[in-house]
Amino acid sequence: MITVRISFEKKNEASYISLLDLQRVMQRVLKRSGLPVWHTLGFNPHIYMTFACPLSLGQESECECVDVKTEAEAPDFEQWKAALNAIMPAGIVITHVGPVQMKADLIAYACYCITYPAAAAAALDAYNALESAPVEKHGKKGNKIIELKDHIPQVEYTTEGDSLHIDLCMPAAQELNLNPSLLTGFLEEKFGLPAVSANILRKKFLTADKQLFV
Amino acid sequence: MFDPKLKEALGRVQKPGRYTGGEPGSVYKDKEKVDVRFAFCFPDTYEVGMSFLGEKILYELLNRRENWWCERAFMPWLDMKAEMERLGLPLYTMESKDPLTAFDAVGFTLQYELSYTNILAMLDLAGIPFYSKDRDERWPLIVAGGPCACNAEPIADFFDVIQLGEGENQLPGICAEIEKAKKEGGVSKKELLLRIAKIPGVYIPAFYDVEYYEDGRVKAITPNEPGIPARITKAIIKDLNEFAPPTNFVVPMVGAIQDRASIEVLRGCVRGCRFCQAGFLYRPMRQRDAGLLNRAAQELCANTGYEELSLSSLSTSDHGQLEELLDDLNEWAPKEHVSLSLPSLRVDNFSQSLIEKTTKVRKSGLTFAAEAGTQRLRNVINKNVTWDEIEKTCTIAFNAGYTSVKLYFMMGLPTETMEDIEGIAETAQKVVDLYYSLPKRGKGKGVQVTISCACFVPKPHTPFEFVPMDTAETLQAKQKHLLESVRSRKIKVNYHDSTTSFLEGVFAKGDRRLAPVIVEAYKRGCYFDGWEECFKYDTWLQTFADLGIDPAFYCQRPIGLDEVTPWSHMDYGVTHEYLVREYQKALAAQTTQPCNRACHGCGANHLLGGSCFDYSQNLV
Repeated sequence: MITVRISFEKKNEASYISLLDLQRVMQRVLKRSGLPVWHTLGFNPHIYMTFACPLSLGQESECECVDVKTEAEAPDFEQWKAALNAIMPAGIVITHVGPVQMKADLIAYACYCITYPAAAAAALDAYNALESAPVEKHGKKGNKIIELKDHIPQVEYTTEGDSLHIDLCMPAAQELNLNPSLLTGFLEEKFGLPAVSANILRKKFLTADKQLFV
Repeated sequence: MFDPKLKEALGRVQKPGRYTGGEPGSVYKDKEKVDVRFAFCFPDTYEVGMSFLGEKILYELLNRRENWWCERAFMPWLDMKAEMERLGLPLYTMESKDPLTAFDAVGFTLQYELSYTNILAMLDLAGIPFYSKDRDERWPLIVAGGPCACNAEPIADFFDVIQLGEGENQLPGICAEIEKAKKEGGVSKKELLLRIAKIPGVYIPAFYDVEYYEDGRVKAITPNEPGIPARITKAIIKDLNEFAPPTNFVVPMVGAIQDRASIEVLRGCVRGCRFCQAGFLYRPMRQRDAGLLNRAAQELCANTGYEELSLSSLSTSDHGQLEELLDDLNEWAPKEHVSLSLPSLRVDNFSQSLIEKTTKVRKSGLTFAAEAGTQRLRNVINKNVTWDEIEKTCTIAFNAGYTSVKLYFMMGLPTETMEDIEGIAETAQKVVDLYYSLPKRGKGKGVQVTISCACFVPKPHTPFEFVPMDTAETLQAKQKHLLESVRSRKIKVNYHDSTTSFLEGVFAKGDRRLAPVIVEAYKRGCYFDGWEECFKYDTWLQTFADLGIDPAFYCQRPIGLDEVTPWSHMDYGVTHEYLVREYQKALAAQTTQPCNRACHGCGANHLLGGSCFDYSQNLV
């Protein structure tokens, strides 16, 4: 039995469904596809699936993945990709299907592209001028204070017409996982820049030694 | 991709996936290339609306026509409604995101009386005037169908067209007239309505005048246009096999309440329970062939990826080929990891083999509708279920490993006494005692019996339409008595709020004079009335008082057997004489046999143009 990684984009309509919803969608899509994916054993057999690093509701991504298992001998992964893309909901596009190369726990960073209206520049300049930017992070073990400046000392941005772009890499490891919404939330609270005006797109994951996670 | 305002709203609301569309199975077309655009509106939340089988049937049927596009709209939840109003976003459809005003026709399904204010909220969000008389050709045609169409008089003034009966032929007929009129050009709204009025089952409220007596009763309902019939006969599909069940569903991504594959095995019901409006509205009973159902079910599961298949109808175990169908389904369903569920089983013909065939994959709880606590009262309502049958059924279920049973009852039924209320508790207690008397019961497990008790609301077109509804005080006293009568911790009691049932009763038997009350209550903040957290009973009562209308007049007054009712121009096939006869039999606690055993002459056979069943074979 091999583990297969299905990599996909989650954008537009699909960016508004939660991980729980996504699991249900994938379960049904895989079932519809008729692909030879492995079912768990037991009273309630269901397709075995694991998702790496769940995406927040409302954020978009070009680098999501779900791992499934198969007992097929030599699966034709291009055919898997085509079969799945034919029945995916709006906003989900399968970009690659293949045997797992890296384990999900190798993910150390997530890189995002954040787009704001150009007027956001003032708030970002104000952020860059700050000495300290403490934010409260809500976690399973309670809330803790994170110093954003330790991770994002300066926000570098470019403006193009009406919009402003930020490229940002944030820790995304088991021990520390920071959501870019911490930054957009801070900018809203401190400088009145509405967090909903930010479009957050996850571009890629990196390993601890800054290798592209695949 | 999304409009920036919509994106902003989506960023601020709970469960934004309810407002985005794009689900597997949703239909997208090029709007420049379609001739008729129909917005199918469900006046409740996405999760409720996406559970509705009727929408799936009509969505597939309309979209099968290349040049028609049927899209969906739902009532946004409170947070989204507020965001849309704040941002000036008009109510839009899931598929194209176009506002309702961009459509040729906007259709509402009338499933529940307490969703009437949501219809106004949806029209309001779309900027569409409420009253039909205030809308000319430039506005979409506002149409409605569904069970409440059997007396939609309280909201009749809002609609241009109301559809009585089954929509499979009727709705495409309406769309075809719209297409024709659009291609001709210059057709007035009135001319279009006159043409649509010729389609079987179509009711155009503006073509009828209602006169009242001084005491408030209806005096007469008369057509005011030539060629319009005095009574509208509902539309019916004579042979259900001509319409295979839908094999494609829009599969919701955020969970719907009924989130499973579902096929309608039969329509109508042979039982004749006297309280049941559906049992009278959908007569005669017609069933689909097992072979057709099996093929449709397999295709539907393959197309949707659902892991649960429900055989739905008013009374699934009355299907003549049920065992055969279950055998066919069990050929493929377990292999495909699909479990079967039968939501409408009856206590009286539930068998050992039935339970085995439905629990091959997964075991869920059992639900039985006993409806009344004593045999006398069950005879009154013609729910011909006996304790022996309940005992037999529960024995089978407990021996098969079931440990939870839900029993449905009603309170406020005609002729009901406190003794009947005690009978509800006693019935549940006997089920508990039965469980512990069985040696084969699940080891080490307790039993859980849930009593779910609804307030009886007398409905039009039933033998109980003449009956006054219990007052809230009486119902509350009965609820209290029920709680006091239950002595086991193994029995849990749920009951309905009597105030929402009261309003349901008012609208169910209401007339056109209620329209201004509904508009005013909506303006005072009443919508989502079916949701406990949103129901503003005091606002409703104040609105009735301010407009000088006594709500109790509509539902807490006995209706004369010869009285003209607000719904007397609606013909659902069952004759008035039959309803009177059944009512009198009810008062004498006399039962009526299911109509596939013997015909009792309700009149609905005329809709089919012959006999409903082949009685010569004596099947049952």
